[in-house]
Amino acid sequence: MKAVRIIAVIAGCLVILYATLTKSRKQFIKNLLSQAPYLIPRYFT
Amino acid sequence: MSDYDVIVIGAGIGGLCAGALLAHQGRKVLVLEQAERVGGCCSTYELNGYRIDIGASIIEFPQVINWAFERMGTTFRKEVDLIAVDPTFTARLHDGTEITFPIDLEKTKEEIRKLAPEDVRGWEAYAKEMDGFLKAALDGFFVTPARSLWDVCKLFAKTPSLLKYGSLFFGSYEGVLRKHLKNEKLLEALSFHSFYCGLPPAILPGHFSMIPYAEHAGIYYARGGMIGIPLGFQKCGQRKGMEVRLNATVEKVLVEDRTAKAVKLSDGTVISAKVIVSDINSKTLYTEMIDQNNLSWLARAGYKSYRYSMATPMIYLCLDYAPPLKDHHTLMTVPMQQMNDYWFDQYEKGRFPAEQFGILSWTTRSDPSLAPAGHHIIAVTLAPGPYRLVGTTWDKEKETIKQNVIKYLESKYLPGLRDHIVHADFSTPVDFERRLRSPEGAIYALRQDLTNAMMFRPSAKSKQIKRLYLVGASTHPGGGVPTVTASAMIASDLIAQYES
Repeated sequence: MKAVRIIAVIAGCLVILYATLTKSRKQFIKNLLSQAPYLIPRYFT
Repeated sequence: MSDYDVIVIGAGIGGLCAGALLAHQGRKVLVLEQAERVGGCCSTYELNGYRIDIGASIIEFPQVINWAFERMGTTFRKEVDLIAVDPTFTARLHDGTEITFPIDLEKTKEEIRKLAPEDVRGWEAYAKEMDGFLKAALDGFFVTPARSLWDVCKLFAKTPSLLKYGSLFFGSYEGVLRKHLKNEKLLEALSFHSFYCGLPPAILPGHFSMIPYAEHAGIYYARGGMIGIPLGFQKCGQRKGMEVRLNATVEKVLVEDRTAKAVKLSDGTVISAKVIVSDINSKTLYTEMIDQNNLSWLARAGYKSYRYSMATPMIYLCLDYAPPLKDHHTLMTVPMQQMNDYWFDQYEKGRFPAEQFGILSWTTRSDPSLAPAGHHIIAVTLAPGPYRLVGTTWDKEKETIKQNVIKYLESKYLPGLRDHIVHADFSTPVDFERRLRSPEGAIYALRQDLTNAMMFRPSAKSKQIKRLYLVGASTHPGGGVPTVTASAMIASDLIAQYES
């Protein structure tokens, strides 16, 4: 239960932090996150 | 017994430079090019007495290209007639304001003082940071392989000063500029350079923000057209017996036991070699030209996941007057946020408006011999063009778009333009694809964000197929004339190390 609460607090902080970012900073992060799942297969190319 | 020591697929800058360097290692080299001329994106064609550059319009980082020539016992200047270009560019902002960036940094500072006195100190801080970063990057980054985490660690160990600039890699181009500069007009003037690396300022990694500064080390044009550079490498290679075959399209790379053995041409001819070097888009190479059974499932997923870089529609204008411009490069700019919005709201949604931003490359300003006496050429590099237009095709819309863009250029930048056009040619992303065998017209092959960089970009020494090497924009360090030259140096070093 404690772990869930800690995760929820961290997630909440991240959401608030993200909301304060500028539009272009959000675009930068969104672009990186959208490609992150491909990093492992790309490492083998 | 193989027919050649090395076969190079593609006679772009990367292919010819690699071929020449390998010929200088004493290897028997054959370069196969599908087009009727060499150079790929860095090439020049002739039309009724005008010599028109297909893509690249200027040489930056000449010292990197010079390193390649020095390895062959000569110099860039000995092999290619270089014309110094000064100023680096003039930016014509959306509101008509103009700012010029001379090569001389002090003069540039004075220009900045006129437009944005509050940013003079910021410019100095930006210049200082970029100067330090460039020195470190040129030392360690350009010609060092980055195939694995270990390679990247070695790269930073070799040049520890790069660590000081680590934050540049994890921020954006826009973020770095905004850290130093506040004036929106100055930011607008420096924004378009992000598209030199294929992405808008918001998502291009921050280390590329060194480009506007790097131009102050000197930029050049090759007399007779940009094809002079690949021809320089070709000459060097041919002195050591390198053969170049034009109109020879490679269809397949033949692989046995996970080892590259030969290439098969479109006419059915099979030519064998001990080593195959590919200068074509690596996604095309691995997904279409190699039997998929030779690749691991993880690598197949990796190759498919790569996104092509942007395409750049270009209009080539042959004129019977001197256009009302000042410099070799005039940037037609819009505010930085508008460039970002264009990418997300227009480009990624398949739209291509006539109101454009981009570059006017007035090549005859630097080299009048490119056109008949009194005539001029402007190559107009437009904003990124989506490969797929929403609800229509480039072939259907080509003429309409061309006329609309010319009308817009006339109204905003080149008064009287339409009365002076002798010839206007429009190269769409689809035309680039057909002409250069560049999938989706991608001019930098693959996107150049962090997730497609260094060890995450296809490796110079194939991780899947033995005796297969990559050069060009789709391997480390990426797209651009100096960087693909660097890729050729990396590949030739690796071949010297592993294929003795």
